[in-house]
Amino acid sequence: MRAFARTLSQLPLAVAALALFALMGLTFIDVVLRSVINAPIEAATELIRLLMAVVVFSALPAVSWRGNHITVDLLDGLLRRLRVQRAMEALVSLACGVALWFPARRIVDLAERARSYGDQTEYLHIPTFYIAWLIAVSVFVSAAILVFRGLALAVTGKVPEGQANG
Amino acid sequence: MVESLVGFAAVLVLVLLRFPIAFAMGTIGLIGYMLETSWRGAISMGARLIIDTSQDYGLSVVPLFILMGLLVNKSGISRELYQASNAFLGHFRGGLAMATVVACGGFAAICGSSLATAATMSKVAMPEMRKYGYTDALSTASIAAGGTLGILIPPSVILVIYGLLTETSIGALFIAGIVPGLMGIGFYIIAVWITVQRNPAAGPAGPRTNWPARMAALANVWAVLLLFGLVIGGLYGALDFWPIYLNFSPTEAAGMGAAGAFLIALARGKLSPGGLRSVLGETAMTTASLFSVLIGAWIFSNFVNIAGLPEALRSGVTSAGLSPWSVMIIIVLIYLALGCIFESMSMLLLTVPIFFPLIRDLGFDPVWFGIIVVVVTEISLITPPVGLNIFILKGVVGDVSTGTIFRGVTPFWIMDILRLILILAVPSLVLFLPSLR
Repeated sequence: MRAFARTLSQLPLAVAALALFALMGLTFIDVVLRSVINAPIEAATELIRLLMAVVVFSALPAVSWRGNHITVDLLDGLLRRLRVQRAMEALVSLACGVALWFPARRIVDLAERARSYGDQTEYLHIPTFYIAWLIAVSVFVSAAILVFRGLALAVTGKVPEGQANG
Repeated sequence: MVESLVGFAAVLVLVLLRFPIAFAMGTIGLIGYMLETSWRGAISMGARLIIDTSQDYGLSVVPLFILMGLLVNKSGISRELYQASNAFLGHFRGGLAMATVVACGGFAAICGSSLATAATMSKVAMPEMRKYGYTDALSTASIAAGGTLGILIPPSVILVIYGLLTETSIGALFIAGIVPGLMGIGFYIIAVWITVQRNPAAGPAGPRTNWPARMAALANVWAVLLLFGLVIGGLYGALDFWPIYLNFSPTEAAGMGAAGAFLIALARGKLSPGGLRSVLGETAMTTASLFSVLIGAWIFSNFVNIAGLPEALRSGVTSAGLSPWSVMIIIVLIYLALGCIFESMSMLLLTVPIFFPLIRDLGFDPVWFGIIVVVVTEISLITPPVGLNIFILKGVVGDVSTGTIFRGVTPFWIMDILRLILILAVPSLVLFLPSLR
């Protein structure tokens, strides 16, 4: 069970890695085909855009889980001396999670609107709401992770197990 | 005007309280936007930006260039770059430190990040300089300063973001970064020379390398030089080998660079499946955190725009009767100050939307201003008391005090200021190469 949960938690990042590799391969092959036999991949631009969204939003929950968002640590020493560092970190994590919730709900609305309009991509006719839903789920999961992380910090005083470098 | 300034101050406070920069800018931007329009409008704007930014074709250069840097790094090139430049410079007094600067420049040509350049080179160059009795001050300073070149010598993630924010040609920005980057290498070498003139014991001369060994060392880095040539040449549209003509968009150049770096690492047998997975995962996470900041910055800039900050600045400048050049000097000073607090990417994202319209209206060249911003950011990376590169070095090396590093870095900092003044005074240093395109 634990092993299963572990695998599940690593899945999004594995998807992001795969999408990134595909992104690299696709641009490479597109350029080679175009330059050598003058036959570019028509849908390349479109695929690159989709892959980008997959890379970013599959990785976002992992970034939130590991606390890897870019921060400024100028006052860390002071906060530590005042013994408010942990409380501050818990509060910040909670606040960020709550703040993400509102746009996440609106993204769902936008995704559903795209579905009702039947919006599709230009070349491959992929319905755009798939990607919007992926984004919504990712933002929701990130928000939930940030809230959970904040609560865990506030209650137990440390970050949950499995967080490499906090 | 007032709303924007209050918003700016609020972001500063939140950031200092350790809010992630993305959330500080995004949340304050949303609240500000809401006060100017409506709750619904603000949330919709935020949601739309989250959806659209991640699918922006132009932004795909970001993960691809990051991937290229990490892959080349995996292939162990930093050590070989250092050995090659050492073979040519090591026998001079201070030569190992000069070689460090050159190798940093070489690494910068494949890596778009200053912090990564400093961290990588310190692992290679520091032990060598210690072995030959270089003072810690000179050794660490040459790495910290050389590392700043990462964001100027193309490819540069910072220049990509600047180009996207201001709709300036990324290709032109990259080409424009070459001369100031080479100037940086030259000026830092002079800084090393000055240091060893004042204190010959700071950097004793190493043994001389003979020519066959030099050629052998150079042979080790040809693949990387070729990769750099392919990426930049393709961007420049200079690779015309009939019947094949290579002319890349920035995304394509980045894709070719990443794929080339992948093949090099593979050919050298330095890439295990696990290694590849970790490089890809790391790139994806860096990309996601950069995109978060980017989205936050865009939300914030929508707020300051709707609150009328650009117009207010413009009319303020006009009514105060400031000349364009005094405005430029003030902006440069603001950047130097902000650079002491903010990480370079966030500083750029926060300030460019505010200053850029003003700069453009005053008749300055967007490409030139982009290079100025990057050079100033570089300087802030080694400015006491909070230059980020100094702390990166302290983190990697460990047993050196930050005071020592700052002391050593002073001549480099002075040369940086000289370089900045030169680029400000002679814009054609920056603009000559792109104008040839």
